[in-house]
Amino acid sequence: MKPSEILTPIKQRYGTAIQRIDRLDDRRLVLHVDAGALKSICRFLFRDLDARYIAGIGADDRPYSGRFMVAHNFAFDRDGLLASVLAMLPADAPEVDSIAGEVPAASWSEREFHDLVGIVPRNHPNPKRLVLPDGWPDRVHPLRKERPWNDRPDGYDEDRPFAFDPAPPGCVVVPLGPFHPTLDEPAHFRLYVDGEIVRGCEYRGFMVHRGIEKLAESVLTYNDIPMAAERICGICGCVHNVAYAQAVEQAASIPVPPRAEYIRTIMLEIERLHSHLLWVGLAGHILGYDTLFMHCFRIREPVMWIAEKISGNRKTYALCLIGGVRWDITPELHDELDQVLNRLEAQWRPLVSALLEDRNLRRRAAGIGVADRALIKEQGLIGPVARAAGIDIDCRRDHPYAAYDRVDFDVILAQDPDVWGRISVRAREVFESIRIIRQCLVKLPAGLLQAPIADELPIGRIGMSSVEAPRGESHHWLITGENHRPRRWRVRAPTYQNLQGIPAMIRDQRLADMTITLGSIDPCFSCTDRLETVDVRTGAVRVCPPEELRDRLRQRWNEPTTP
Amino acid sequence: MLQNLCQKMFRRSLWVYHANSGGCNGCDIEVLNVLTPYYDVERFGIKLVASPRHADVMLCQGPAMRSTAQALRRAYEAMPSPKLVFAVGSCAGGGGLWYDTYSVLGPVETVIPVHYYIPGCPPRPEAILYGVALALGLVDKQVAATRIGHAAFPVPRYHPEDLRPEGGLAIYQRQEKI
Ligand code: SF4
Repeated sequence: MKPSEILTPIKQRYGTAIQRIDRLDDRRLVLHVDAGALKSICRFLFRDLDARYIAGIGADDRPYSGRFMVAHNFAFDRDGLLASVLAMLPADAPEVDSIAGEVPAASWSEREFHDLVGIVPRNHPNPKRLVLPDGWPDRVHPLRKERPWNDRPDGYDEDRPFAFDPAPPGCVVVPLGPFHPTLDEPAHFRLYVDGEIVRGCEYRGFMVHRGIEKLAESVLTYNDIPMAAERICGICGCVHNVAYAQAVEQAASIPVPPRAEYIRTIMLEIERLHSHLLWVGLAGHILGYDTLFMHCFRIREPVMWIAEKISGNRKTYALCLIGGVRWDITPELHDELDQVLNRLEAQWRPLVSALLEDRNLRRRAAGIGVADRALIKEQGLIGPVARAAGIDIDCRRDHPYAAYDRVDFDVILAQDPDVWGRISVRAREVFESIRIIRQCLVKLPAGLLQAPIADELPIGRIGMSSVEAPRGESHHWLITGENHRPRRWRVRAPTYQNLQGIPAMIRDQRLADMTITLGSIDPCFSCTDRLETVDVRTGAVRVCPPEELRDRLRQRWNEPTTP
Repeated sequence: MLQNLCQKMFRRSLWVYHANSGGCNGCDIEVLNVLTPYYDVERFGIKLVASPRHADVMLCQGPAMRSTAQALRRAYEAMPSPKLVFAVGSCAGGGGLWYDTYSVLGPVETVIPVHYYIPGCPPRPEAILYGVALALGLVDKQVAATRIGHAAFPVPRYHPEDLRPEGGLAIYQRQEKI
């Protein structure tokens, strides 16, 4: 379907509520609509046209247009189209109808712009604080343009507790976190447990919110931001780096030289290799299969070395500048990378066949953390979580970027919407990555690494870009601005959507399955988490040592069947 | 001095607790890497433990954040004395790129005392091993401390557009920023 074919029904239905339609290129649309019609248009896109929800954005546009701005982004995966539905709100009453009732996947995005920009989503089903620290004063919104990036507002109260929902009757509260000693950011889950069974949970995370978007809007410049972007996440950093650069390039219509596109593809796939190997190892570790963990890390290490040879760092490759890349693949690196891939493939193949035929592992992981098609649609789940359920989405193919349209690869699917399916998808995707890198090495064209950019970048243009990270789609949206920096830059990492599916995925499962369910979406996790049990009736706190949790988890190996 | 003390107090296996107070987990995966076959930190008797109550050493990653400061302080207090704290990575050591943003308090030393710094973003596994071995007196220090002098005139770290040339000097003109 062409953009025009999608637009026709929208135009017919909403007519004058659509003020303007910008076609950024053949695969990007921006619909400027009346704020009053926003909710209904979003519902129409999500329900009737079956678009996938990506992210919601709030921006303070007062210095430029005198108004606030909200946008909701949707993807038409089959048609390779990204669309942003944008509405302006008056400066004195920044309120908009919440769409979270119609599009549940938008819930966090709306809570986020409420916190950061102070745009109120009217009638939001769960209008709680999401991003800012608990003690942050209520009326201070850091992404408003009058607040400085190094804001130290009055009225900060470190001791203010977060208002958690009351536990359902008869349930015990089990807090999980905030420290995850083996991986990833601190995060806090509050599980409502009835005996062994988890009945629900509430998430209080965003403890790693470092204000990167604000830094980008007020301190850094276009070419500094890629380096900040890759520090959003230490595991899939290169994805953010590339996604940001592509969003700017698209906004400013900067053509990227083909050699740079191929090198971007190679580095993204190297990153996917290391991330998948890391994750499969960790999943094994959580399930008590430490042999797998050690093997994965052994096999993975040469990938880190070659990344270091190419970019000078094992992680945080500092790859992109606007319009190109900084590192070249020299002929020596070319050969070495080839050898690394050969060895990797030779070692990974027997491990995967052992893994996928391991009946114990299968019994342990099957039926755990189920995310069915309905949940995936409602919450906008992506990446291996969706592909494990047989949903055929992959940004590399659906919204091609870099050199992905010039290489040949399969999108790996499974028909088990559970932890087992995710393990199987990610273990097999490693081979596709190897295939992609090999093709890129063969096809790598000669030429420039960096497009010459003589002029200032244009101001006020919108760019968006989706990049398939190892865990799912990372989406970047930005408006270019003055002083060599974007006015607004919004990043939506894959875990942002996938975490929203967790409450449904763990409901009515055993407490011992919590860590692997959480782990299976790869927010990273830990079996060595600090776990406190609070008896709701007496208020007594018992610290449950992580070993106990792990032992409980491992005991489940020995149980005959899963009830 | 500290090194001698360390040698005396931590003669046997070190148990390490690992706290990420808000980093990007680049440092985490390198710490994890130290445990695995290529680097195998257990040959020095170093072991990762799950609870601060079992730990001799805390490895901190990421800057001190507003939202985790309290938890970090509690974890530190839960460790039995004598205890050592390592700041791993540039975030933990100096606050990183975001050292002064609205949600970050700064380096972890603003919240708990830090004894050793391992720089890098992220530091290589070898660097982490070396840092710990240095603290234990297993290896000698290979670098000498230097003082880094400040530039003669204040160069703004950000906002180079605020510089105005005048008589061969660059004058920093602080503008009102939105
Ligand atoms: S020092 Fe670098 S790698 Fe480590 S947490 Fe900070 S940004 Fe991430």
